Amino acid sequence: MEVLRIRSLTFGRVLVPILLVAALAVIVTGCGSDDSSTELNGITRVPPAKTGNLSLPDYSPQSGGKKVAVRGNEDGLMLVYFGYTSCPDVCPTTLADLRNALAELDPAQRERVQVSMVTVDPDRDTGRVLNGYLAHFFEPGEYHSLRTTDQALLNRADEAFGASHKLGKPDADGNYDVSHTALLYAVDPKGTVEVEWPFGTDADVIADDLKTLLDNNSQNPDA
Amino acid sequence: MKKLVPLATVVLALGIFVAACGSDDSDSGSSGVEVTDVWARPTTPTADAGAIYMTINSKDGDSLTAAKVPSSIAGMTQIHETTTDGEATSSEDSMESGDSMSSDDSMGSDDSMDSDHSMEGGSMMGMKEVSQIDIPAGETVTLEPGGFHIMLLDLKGQIKAGDTIPVTLTFEKAGTVEVDATAQDQ
Ligand SMILES: [Cu+2]
Repeated sequence: MEVLRIRSLTFGRVLVPILLVAALAVIVTGCGSDDSSTELNGITRVPPAKTGNLSLPDYSPQSGGKKVAVRGNEDGLMLVYFGYTSCPDVCPTTLADLRNALAELDPAQRERVQVSMVTVDPDRDTGRVLNGYLAHFFEPGEYHSLRTTDQALLNRADEAFGASHKLGKPDADGNYDVSHTALLYAVDPKGTVEVEWPFGTDADVIADDLKTLLDNNSQNPDA
Repeated sequence: MKKLVPLATVVLALGIFVAACGSDDSDSGSSGVEVTDVWARPTTPTADAGAIYMTINSKDGDSLTAAKVPSSIAGMTQIHETTTDGEATSSEDSMESGDSMSSDDSMGSDDSMDSDHSMEGGSMMGMKEVSQIDIPAGETVTLEPGGFHIMLLDLKGQIKAGDTIPVTLTFEKAGTVEVDATAQDQ
Protein backbone atom coordinates (compact mmCIF):
# COMPACT_ATOMS: atom_id res chain seq x y z
CA MET A 1 0.00 0.00 0.00
CA GLU A 2 1.21 3.44 -0.86
CA VAL A 3 2.26 5.50 2.10
CA LEU A 4 0.89 8.98 2.31
CA ARG A 5 2.41 12.20 3.45
CA ILE A 6 0.47 12.14 6.69
CA ARG A 7 1.60 8.59 7.30
CA SER A 8 5.17 9.75 7.21
CA LEU A 9 4.29 12.23 9.91
CA THR A 10 4.39 9.33 12.30
CA PHE A 11 8.08 9.38 11.72
CA GLY A 12 8.08 13.15 11.52
CA ARG A 13 6.85 13.37 15.06
CA VAL A 14 10.33 12.55 16.17
CA LEU A 15 12.46 13.11 13.15
CA VAL A 16 11.38 16.48 11.84
CA PRO A 17 11.88 18.41 15.08
CA ILE A 18 15.23 16.73 15.59
CA LEU A 19 16.39 17.59 12.10
CA LEU A 20 15.17 21.14 12.48
CA VAL A 21 16.99 21.58 15.69
CA ALA A 22 20.09 19.98 14.23
CA ALA A 23 19.92 22.41 11.33
CA LEU A 24 19.90 25.15 13.91
CA ALA A 25 23.39 24.15 14.91
CA VAL A 26 22.32 22.34 18.02
CA ILE A 27 24.29 19.22 18.60
CA VAL A 28 22.32 16.02 18.70
CA THR A 29 23.93 13.29 20.68
CA GLY A 30 23.20 9.65 21.17
CA CYS A 31 20.07 9.50 19.02
CA GLY A 32 18.73 6.03 18.78
CA SER A 33 20.78 4.47 21.52
CA ASP A 34 18.26 2.75 23.71
CA ASP A 35 20.55 1.00 26.14
CA SER A 36 20.75 2.24 29.70
CA SER A 37 24.18 3.71 29.26
CA THR A 38 25.29 7.15 30.26
CA GLU A 39 24.47 8.33 26.76
CA LEU A 40 21.33 10.42 26.60
CA ASN A 41 18.74 9.77 23.91
CA GLY A 42 17.32 13.28 23.90
CA ILE A 43 18.84 16.46 22.55
CA THR A 44 21.72 18.03 24.44
CA ARG A 45 23.11 21.45 23.62
CA VAL A 46 26.63 22.75 23.79
CA PRO A 47 26.73 24.91 25.76
CA PRO A 48 23.61 23.92 27.66
CA ALA A 49 20.82 26.41 28.31
CA LYS A 50 20.67 27.70 31.89
CA THR A 51 17.71 28.88 33.88
CA GLY A 52 19.92 31.03 36.13
CA ASN A 53 17.87 32.65 38.87
CA LEU A 54 14.60 32.25 37.00
CA SER A 55 11.64 31.73 39.28
CA LEU A 56 7.96 31.76 38.39
CA PRO A 57 4.73 31.91 40.39
CA ASP A 58 3.43 28.41 41.09
CA TYR A 59 -0.35 28.06 41.45
CA SER A 60 -0.25 24.41 42.47
CA PRO A 61 -2.11 23.62 45.72
CA GLN A 62 1.13 23.28 47.70
CA SER A 63 2.51 26.65 46.60
CA GLY A 64 -0.59 28.78 46.17
CA GLY A 65 1.02 31.39 43.93
CA LYS A 66 4.44 31.57 45.60
CA LYS A 67 7.39 31.76 43.24
CA VAL A 68 9.45 28.63 42.76
CA ALA A 69 12.93 28.31 41.29
CA VAL A 70 12.91 26.67 37.88
CA ARG A 71 15.44 23.94 38.65
CA GLY A 72 15.70 20.53 40.27
CA ASN A 73 15.67 20.06 44.06
CA GLU A 74 18.85 18.90 45.77
CA ASP A 75 19.71 15.79 43.73
CA GLY A 76 16.59 15.92 41.59
CA LEU A 77 15.28 17.16 38.28
CA MET A 78 12.60 19.61 37.26
CA LEU A 79 10.95 18.70 33.97
CA VAL A 80 9.63 21.82 32.27
CA TYR A 81 7.09 22.10 29.48
CA PHE A 82 5.69 25.24 27.87
CA GLY A 83 2.09 24.76 26.77
CA TYR A 84 -1.54 25.72 27.29
CA THR A 85 -4.55 23.78 28.44
CA SER A 86 -6.82 24.40 25.43
CA CYS A 87 -4.28 22.39 23.47
CA PRO A 88 -5.99 19.05 22.74
CA ASP A 89 -3.35 17.38 20.61
CA VAL A 90 0.31 18.20 21.18
CA CYS A 91 0.35 19.04 24.91
CA PRO A 92 -1.66 16.07 26.20
CA THR A 93 0.35 13.75 23.97
CA THR A 94 3.60 14.89 25.56
CA LEU A 95 2.20 14.97 29.09
CA ALA A 96 0.76 11.48 28.66
CA ASP A 97 4.15 10.28 27.38
CA LEU A 98 5.73 11.85 30.46
CA ARG A 99 3.16 10.28 32.76
CA ASN A 100 4.03 6.89 31.28
CA ALA A 101 7.75 7.61 31.61
CA LEU A 102 7.40 8.53 35.30
CA ALA A 103 5.51 5.30 35.88
CA GLU A 104 8.63 3.42 34.78
CA LEU A 105 10.75 4.95 37.57
CA ASP A 106 11.02 3.32 40.94
CA PRO A 107 9.40 5.33 43.76
CA ALA A 108 12.72 6.64 45.11
CA GLN A 109 13.66 7.93 41.67
CA ARG A 110 10.25 9.38 41.02
CA GLU A 111 10.35 11.34 44.27
CA ARG A 112 13.30 13.27 42.91
CA VAL A 113 11.41 14.42 39.83
CA GLN A 114 9.12 17.44 39.70
CA VAL A 115 7.03 18.40 36.69
CA SER A 116 6.38 22.03 35.75
CA MET A 117 4.11 23.30 33.04
CA VAL A 118 4.54 26.97 32.16
CA THR A 119 1.36 28.26 30.54
CA VAL A 120 1.95 30.45 27.50
CA ASP A 121 -1.74 31.43 27.66
CA PRO A 122 -2.09 32.84 31.20
CA ASP A 123 -5.27 34.77 30.41
CA ARG A 124 -7.26 31.61 29.71
CA ASP A 125 -5.21 29.31 31.93
CA THR A 126 -5.99 30.44 35.44
CA GLY A 127 -4.27 28.66 38.30
CA ARG A 128 -7.38 26.57 38.86
CA VAL A 129 -7.56 25.51 35.22
CA LEU A 130 -3.87 24.70 35.14
CA ASN A 131 -4.11 22.62 38.33
CA GLY A 132 -7.08 20.69 36.98
CA TYR A 133 -5.14 19.96 33.82
CA LEU A 134 -1.94 18.79 35.50
CA ALA A 135 -3.75 16.79 38.18
CA HIS A 136 -5.09 14.67 35.33
CA PHE A 137 -1.56 13.49 34.55
CA PHE A 138 0.50 13.77 37.72
CA GLU A 139 0.39 13.10 41.45
CA PRO A 140 -0.45 15.85 43.94
CA GLY A 141 2.75 17.57 45.05
CA GLU A 142 4.57 16.33 41.95
CA TYR A 143 3.53 19.13 39.60
CA HIS A 144 3.93 22.89 39.51
CA SER A 145 1.45 25.15 37.72
CA LEU A 146 3.70 27.97 36.58
CA ARG A 147 1.86 31.04 35.41
CA THR A 148 2.63 34.71 35.11
CA THR A 149 0.73 37.55 33.48
CA ASP A 150 3.95 39.57 33.44
CA GLN A 151 4.80 39.30 29.75
CA ALA A 152 8.41 40.31 30.28
CA LEU A 153 8.88 37.54 32.86
CA LEU A 154 7.26 34.97 30.57
CA ASN A 155 9.56 36.07 27.75
CA ARG A 156 12.57 35.68 30.03
CA ALA A 157 11.41 32.16 30.82
CA ASP A 158 11.16 31.44 27.09
CA GLU A 159 14.61 32.84 26.48
CA ALA A 160 16.19 30.85 29.27
CA PHE A 161 15.18 27.68 27.43
CA GLY A 162 15.57 28.98 23.89
CA ALA A 163 11.82 28.49 23.55
CA SER A 164 9.21 30.72 21.98
CA HIS A 165 5.47 31.09 21.76
CA LYS A 166 3.01 33.13 19.81
CA LEU A 167 -0.60 34.08 20.42
CA GLY A 168 -2.61 34.82 17.30
CA LYS A 169 -4.95 37.75 16.85
CA PRO A 170 -8.34 37.05 18.45
CA ASP A 171 -11.21 36.37 16.04
CA ALA A 172 -14.74 37.81 16.35
CA ASP A 173 -15.51 35.35 19.15
CA GLY A 174 -12.34 36.20 21.02
CA ASN A 175 -10.71 32.87 20.18
CA TYR A 176 -7.09 32.88 19.18
CA ASP A 177 -4.50 30.39 18.03
CA VAL A 178 -1.53 29.51 20.17
CA SER A 179 1.74 28.08 18.98
CA HIS A 180 4.63 27.17 21.22
CA THR A 181 7.87 25.30 21.38
CA ALA A 182 6.82 21.77 22.21
CA LEU A 183 9.97 20.41 23.83
CA LEU A 184 10.17 18.84 27.26
CA TYR A 185 13.22 19.97 29.24
CA ALA A 186 15.06 18.41 32.19
CA VAL A 187 16.68 20.95 34.52
CA ASP A 188 19.20 19.94 37.18
CA PRO A 189 19.63 21.53 40.65
CA LYS A 190 22.08 24.07 39.24
CA GLY A 191 19.62 25.26 36.63
CA THR A 192 21.35 23.55 33.73
CA VAL A 193 19.08 22.17 31.04
CA GLU A 194 20.61 18.72 30.76
CA VAL A 195 18.47 17.31 27.98
CA GLU A 196 15.38 18.12 25.96
CA TRP A 197 12.97 15.79 24.21
CA PRO A 198 11.03 16.72 21.08
CA PHE A 199 7.33 16.09 20.61
CA GLY A 200 6.70 12.41 19.95
CA THR A 201 9.58 11.00 22.00
CA ASP A 202 8.52 7.61 23.35
CA ALA A 203 7.87 7.27 27.08
CA ASP A 204 10.49 4.50 27.25
CA VAL A 205 13.12 6.82 25.81
CA ILE A 206 12.26 9.59 28.27
CA ALA A 207 12.31 7.11 31.16
CA ASP A 208 15.69 5.79 30.05
CA ASP A 209 17.14 9.31 30.04
CA LEU A 210 15.57 10.15 33.40
CA LYS A 211 17.21 7.09 34.96
CA THR A 212 20.55 8.03 33.44
CA LEU A 213 20.33 11.60 34.72
CA LEU A 214 19.16 10.59 38.19
CA ASP A 215 21.95 8.00 38.45
CA ASN A 216 24.55 10.55 37.39
CA ASN A 217 23.28 13.17 39.82
CA SER A 218 23.33 10.83 42.78
CA GLN A 219 26.81 9.58 41.90
CA ASN A 220 28.35 13.04 41.59
CA PRO A 221 26.19 15.53 43.44
CA ASP A 222 28.78 18.22 42.73
CA ALA A 223 29.27 17.41 39.06
CA MET B 1 -20.10 13.09 28.75
CA LYS B 2 -22.28 11.32 31.29
CA LYS B 3 -25.32 11.92 29.11
CA LEU B 4 -23.77 9.73 26.50
CA VAL B 5 -23.80 6.48 28.34
CA PRO B 6 -27.56 6.37 28.86
CA LEU B 7 -28.02 7.42 25.24
CA ALA B 8 -25.79 4.63 24.02
CA THR B 9 -27.59 2.21 26.28
CA VAL B 10 -30.95 3.24 24.90
CA VAL B 11 -29.75 2.91 21.36
CA LEU B 12 -28.35 -0.51 22.06
CA ALA B 13 -31.50 -1.53 23.88
CA LEU B 14 -33.45 -0.73 20.77
CA GLY B 15 -31.31 -3.22 19.00
CA ILE B 16 -29.84 -0.65 16.70
CA PHE B 17 -26.20 -0.85 15.94
CA VAL B 18 -25.08 2.78 15.89
CA ALA B 19 -22.18 1.99 13.62
CA ALA B 20 -24.44 0.16 11.27
CA CYS B 21 -25.87 3.46 10.02
CA GLY B 22 -22.75 3.83 8.01
CA SER B 23 -22.08 0.21 7.38
CA ASP B 24 -22.46 0.61 3.64
CA ASP B 25 -19.69 3.13 3.73
CA SER B 26 -17.42 1.68 6.34
CA ASP B 27 -16.68 -1.68 4.81
CA SER B 28 -14.94 -0.59 1.64
CA GLY B 29 -18.17 -1.32 -0.18
CA SER B 30 -19.62 0.70 -2.98
CA SER B 31 -18.42 4.02 -1.58
CA GLY B 32 -14.89 2.78 -1.09
CA VAL B 33 -14.38 4.58 2.22
CA GLU B 34 -13.37 2.61 5.29
CA VAL B 35 -12.99 4.27 8.68
CA THR B 36 -11.33 2.34 11.49
CA ASP B 37 -9.62 2.86 14.86
CA VAL B 38 -11.72 5.85 15.81
CA TRP B 39 -10.66 7.13 19.23
CA ALA B 40 -10.92 10.24 21.35
CA ARG B 41 -8.46 11.42 23.91
CA PRO B 42 -9.91 11.62 27.44
CA THR B 43 -9.93 15.23 28.61
CA THR B 44 -9.25 16.91 31.90
CA PRO B 45 -12.24 18.18 33.93
CA THR B 46 -11.56 21.81 32.99
CA ALA B 47 -10.69 21.28 29.33
CA ASP B 48 -12.71 23.13 26.73
CA ALA B 49 -11.22 21.33 23.73
CA GLY B 50 -10.76 17.73 22.67
CA ALA B 51 -9.50 15.69 19.76
CA ILE B 52 -10.66 12.63 17.83
CA TYR B 53 -8.40 10.45 15.68
CA MET B 54 -9.04 7.70 13.12
CA THR B 55 -7.75 5.83 10.14
CA ILE B 56 -9.41 6.35 6.76
CA ASN B 57 -8.92 4.22 3.68
CA SER B 58 -10.42 4.99 0.29
CA LYS B 59 -10.48 2.57 -2.60
CA ASP B 60 -11.36 5.14 -5.24
CA GLY B 61 -10.08 8.31 -3.61
CA ASP B 62 -12.19 10.75 -1.60
CA SER B 63 -11.98 13.77 0.68
CA LEU B 64 -13.15 14.23 4.24
CA THR B 65 -14.84 17.62 4.18
CA ALA B 66 -16.65 17.85 7.52
CA ALA B 67 -17.04 16.18 10.88
CA LYS B 68 -19.72 16.69 13.49
CA VAL B 69 -20.46 15.43 16.98
CA PRO B 70 -23.72 16.01 18.88
CA SER B 71 -24.06 19.54 20.26
CA SER B 72 -24.53 17.97 23.69
CA ILE B 73 -20.85 17.01 23.49
CA ALA B 74 -19.18 19.95 21.76
CA GLY B 75 -20.41 23.27 20.47
CA MET B 76 -18.19 23.17 17.41
CA THR B 77 -16.31 20.54 15.43
CA GLN B 78 -13.51 21.31 12.97
CA ILE B 79 -10.90 19.45 10.96
CA HIS B 80 -7.46 20.46 12.21
CA GLU B 81 -3.89 19.94 11.25
CA THR B 82 -1.02 20.29 13.71
CA THR B 83 1.70 22.47 12.27
CA THR B 84 5.33 23.03 13.09
CA ASP B 85 7.05 26.41 13.20
CA GLY B 86 4.02 28.54 13.82
CA GLU B 87 2.37 28.02 10.44
CA ALA B 88 -0.89 27.93 12.28
CA THR B 89 -0.90 31.60 13.08
CA SER B 90 -0.39 34.57 10.87
CA SER B 91 2.77 36.36 11.76
CA GLU B 92 1.08 39.72 11.60
CA ASP B 93 -0.73 41.24 14.52
CA SER B 94 0.48 38.63 16.87
CA MET B 95 2.28 38.85 20.16
CA GLU B 96 5.53 37.11 19.72
CA SER B 97 7.76 36.09 22.52
CA GLY B 98 11.47 36.15 22.57
CA ASP B 99 12.88 33.22 20.75
CA SER B 100 16.56 33.71 21.09
CA MET B 101 18.70 30.71 21.73
CA SER B 102 20.88 32.64 24.11
CA SER B 103 22.02 30.57 26.98
CA ASP B 104 23.28 33.38 29.14
CA ASP B 105 21.84 33.37 32.57
CA SER B 106 21.58 37.05 33.17
CA MET B 107 17.95 36.65 33.99
CA GLY B 108 17.83 39.81 35.98
CA SER B 109 18.59 41.99 32.98
CA ASP B 110 15.90 43.80 31.06
CA ASP B 111 14.07 41.65 28.62
CA SER B 112 14.93 42.18 25.03
CA MET B 113 11.55 41.49 23.52
CA ASP B 114 11.60 44.51 21.29
CA SER B 115 14.81 43.53 19.62
CA ASP B 116 14.55 41.72 16.34
CA HIS B 117 14.74 38.02 17.09
CA SER B 118 15.71 35.68 14.35
CA MET B 119 13.84 32.40 14.23
CA GLU B 120 16.53 30.36 15.82
CA GLY B 121 14.51 29.05 18.74
CA GLY B 122 13.14 25.55 18.86
CA SER B 123 10.45 25.04 16.28
CA MET B 124 6.98 26.01 17.44
CA MET B 125 3.96 23.77 17.10
CA GLY B 126 0.42 24.97 16.62
CA MET B 127 -2.67 23.90 14.75
CA LYS B 128 -4.94 25.27 12.09
CA GLU B 129 -8.30 24.44 10.61
CA VAL B 130 -8.20 22.77 7.19
CA SER B 131 -11.08 22.60 4.73
CA GLN B 132 -10.59 18.93 3.91
CA ILE B 133 -8.34 15.91 4.17
CA ASP B 134 -7.69 14.17 0.86
CA ILE B 135 -7.50 10.39 0.77
CA PRO B 136 -5.96 9.35 -2.57
CA ALA B 137 -7.28 6.21 -4.23
CA GLY B 138 -6.07 3.04 -2.57
CA GLU B 139 -4.31 4.87 0.23
CA THR B 140 -4.75 5.16 3.96
CA VAL B 141 -4.62 8.39 5.92
CA THR B 142 -4.23 8.24 9.68
CA LEU B 143 -5.43 11.10 11.82
CA GLU B 144 -3.06 10.92 14.77
CA PRO B 145 -1.34 13.07 17.40
CA GLY B 146 0.96 15.56 15.71
CA GLY B 147 -0.88 15.23 12.38
CA PHE B 148 -4.57 15.70 11.61
CA HIS B 149 -7.33 15.56 14.20
CA ILE B 150 -11.01 16.24 14.52
CA MET B 151 -11.06 19.19 16.89
CA LEU B 152 -13.85 19.48 19.43
CA LEU B 153 -14.39 23.02 20.66
CA ASP B 154 -16.65 24.36 23.38
CA LEU B 155 -16.75 20.98 25.12
CA LYS B 156 -19.89 20.50 27.21
CA GLY B 157 -18.35 18.02 29.62
CA GLN B 158 -15.36 15.92 30.40
CA ILE B 159 -14.56 13.07 28.02
CA LYS B 160 -13.72 10.07 30.17
CA ALA B 161 -11.96 6.88 29.20
CA GLY B 162 -14.55 4.41 27.95
CA ASP B 163 -17.02 7.06 26.72
CA THR B 164 -18.42 6.63 23.25
CA ILE B 165 -18.86 9.64 20.98
CA PRO B 166 -20.89 9.36 17.78
CA VAL B 167 -19.15 11.18 14.93
CA THR B 168 -20.77 12.08 11.62
CA LEU B 169 -18.20 12.35 8.86
CA THR B 170 -18.95 13.90 5.49
CA PHE B 171 -17.00 12.75 2.45
CA GLU B 172 -17.09 14.43 -0.93
CA LYS B 173 -18.08 11.22 -2.76
CA ALA B 174 -19.14 8.76 -0.09
CA GLY B 175 -21.41 11.23 1.63
CA THR B 176 -22.22 10.74 5.29
CA VAL B 177 -20.46 8.09 7.34
CA GLU B 178 -21.38 7.50 10.98
CA VAL B 179 -18.72 6.16 13.31
CA ASP B 180 -18.22 5.86 17.06
CA ALA B 181 -15.13 7.17 18.78
CA THR B 182 -14.08 5.40 21.95
CA ALA B 183 -12.30 7.52 24.52
CA GLN B 184 -9.04 5.89 25.53
CA ASP B 185 -5.61 6.85 26.71
CA GLN B 186 -2.88 6.41 24.17
CU1 LIG C 1 -6.98 21.37 16.99
